[in-house]
Amino acid sequence: MPSQASLRQAARLLFGSPLNAALTLAFGAMLAVALPPMLRWLVLDAVLFNPDPAACRAASGACWSFIYVKSGQLLFGIYPVEERWRPALVCLLILALLGWSVRPASWTPRLLGLWISALALIVWMMGGGLGLEEVPTSAWGGLPVTLILTVVAIGIAFPVGILLALARRSTMPAVRIAAVVTIESVRGLPLLSILFVASIMLPLFLPEALLPDKFVRALVALTIFAAAYLAEVIRGGLQAIPRGQYEAAAALGLPFWRTQYRVILPQAIRVVIPALANTIIVMIKNTSLVLVVGLFDLISSGKAALADPAWPSPAAETFLFIGGIFFALSFSFARFADFLERRSPVAR
Amino acid sequence: MFNDARTRSIVIQCVLVAAVVGAAALLVTTTFTNLQTRGIPIGFDFLSMPSRIVISEAILSYKSRDPYYWAIVVGLANTVFVSALVIVFSSVLGLVVGVTRLSSNPLAAGTCRVWVEIARNSPPIVLLIFLYSLWWKVLPPVADALRPLPGVFASMRGLMVPSVHISLATAGVVLIIVAGMLFLAPRLAGSLRNFRPALNWATVAVLLLGLWFADATVSMDWPVFAGSNFQGGLELTPELSTILIGLTIYTTGFIAEIVRGGVLSVGSGQWDAGRSVGLSRSKILRLIVIPQMLRVIVPPLNSQYINVVKNSTLAIAVGYPDFFAVMNTIISKSSHSIEGVFIILGVYLALNLTLSSAANWYNRRIAIVER
Repeated sequence: MPSQASLRQAARLLFGSPLNAALTLAFGAMLAVALPPMLRWLVLDAVLFNPDPAACRAASGACWSFIYVKSGQLLFGIYPVEERWRPALVCLLILALLGWSVRPASWTPRLLGLWISALALIVWMMGGGLGLEEVPTSAWGGLPVTLILTVVAIGIAFPVGILLALARRSTMPAVRIAAVVTIESVRGLPLLSILFVASIMLPLFLPEALLPDKFVRALVALTIFAAAYLAEVIRGGLQAIPRGQYEAAAALGLPFWRTQYRVILPQAIRVVIPALANTIIVMIKNTSLVLVVGLFDLISSGKAALADPAWPSPAAETFLFIGGIFFALSFSFARFADFLERRSPVAR
Repeated sequence: MFNDARTRSIVIQCVLVAAVVGAAALLVTTTFTNLQTRGIPIGFDFLSMPSRIVISEAILSYKSRDPYYWAIVVGLANTVFVSALVIVFSSVLGLVVGVTRLSSNPLAAGTCRVWVEIARNSPPIVLLIFLYSLWWKVLPPVADALRPLPGVFASMRGLMVPSVHISLATAGVVLIIVAGMLFLAPRLAGSLRNFRPALNWATVAVLLLGLWFADATVSMDWPVFAGSNFQGGLELTPELSTILIGLTIYTTGFIAEIVRGGVLSVGSGQWDAGRSVGLSRSKILRLIVIPQMLRVIVPPLNSQYINVVKNSTLAIAVGYPDFFAVMNTIISKSSHSIEGVFIILGVYLALNLTLSSAANWYNRRIAIVER
């Protein structure tokens, strides 16, 4: 039972002034028109668990049982059915490691070693060999592809981005020009065109022997793209460091790399945490574009599942589900970034 | 020797240049051998040959007999059309949503927050595919088309909107007068400082007079349902409507956050200061708050506009033939992939540089001049 005071508070917030009352009425009317049909479609008229396609045909609401029945195919794509426990374990491993890495207490050099050994384990689990049945990257699919691409692309792009940012601020003209040309041309292009070049043009550019497979090509394109954007964000942070910091490091006799690693970068990166988080969220979302170059990510496996003629092709439900996965990933990362920002307020 | 900073920097740069040149040489030679072994000709001659590709819809007229270069122009026009509309719609909506998010009304602010979070945390391509899959599920057949606004019809076959017909002479006169005033205004502004409002009215008067002399014709064409189909108006196919609506929803989320940040960046002390010198509310807004806000929001807004151009390539996911989709078809059809990729890279770089130099020009104009 809400108290009288909180009721009065709510009334003041909703109808306190003419403008507020108008806003309440306008938004209330909008929600009253939009929400009931949405609710009916999503829940009330929907088929939730009945695994019979006929039930979906008969119902006027959403067909969630399709997602339920096809979840294996949606999440793991064309990975061999009897081996699906491997990508499932890989997904759990990556998510667990991400959860572990979020705790500031675990930020030690050992964490990097942990990730690198985990990555070796992931590649073995997904690809097989050494006792496991071999699965080529062309059969990898769904959520593990999305997660691996995101984690590895950002993981490699971050140090590369730092190097590019430092190169762009270098006093050596050749180094600076090379960095500027790389960063600006990558940032000037849509990711789709870079992926396209990587997947279709590389076979023409490179000798056959040097040609990596499709998965690695997409990974390289994503990494270059992320590195250029991260470099600009980090450069912003570097610019915010007062010259006194460099002079102090020089006075202590620290060489260039130790100055960067011990003095400059820790401060520079802390300044740009919000911008870094935004860039990383954009990269999480960007991995969804690899479908265009024929990699079997979540969207492609969704499309493949929809092709089953036994079901009434519940496309909206499937893409809502896939969108939900991406939303969960990037929304939780955004909350993590908020937490980081609050935890380490920039010293003024 | 390596301890000398100058020698070291020269050595590093020489190694870098040698590496870049070496890699480029390797790329070029392998490309040519690869092309030769596959018997692929190289050169831009193919551009004037008839393309015979299909472009499902275009705002310029296109027939499959037309040469490749015209197909490229048609695709580019589609890209510019989509990007321009999305930029206009999402700027207006972003302003509204961003300001509403700051409202003390929890219902209004909450709804806008949901919009922003959905836009910022879902991939645009999933949003587009989702909206496209909704089109046939939600909308009725043509005969009982929805009418969300007067003159706008929504049905399975797409959106019908009123179109505006402007004669070429009218457009020309408007363009010349606006360009002239843009050229003259900064030169007159110094001497006519106290006549700013008069100057604005003079512009309008000259514009109207010019239009009257040019015998201007501007007419609206409203879509009307006749028998089995619509007559008049402008038809937006489901593909075009999806990409317009989807990218607008997506971009609005980002612009709303930029606007919100801009409003918050102007401290409340600025309002107090304005009131203490006796300025009215609208004058505080116009003379103090908005100029400072613009300074904060123009650079990120510019990168959002560039993102719109880049995101318009996602049209390929719903089958709208934008520049990238057309180039993709051309490359697979003509096997001139190297030339095609160079055209793609060149065009997007040019588009983005144009946008950002326009924004930089505007940014310099609104920047606070410090002593």
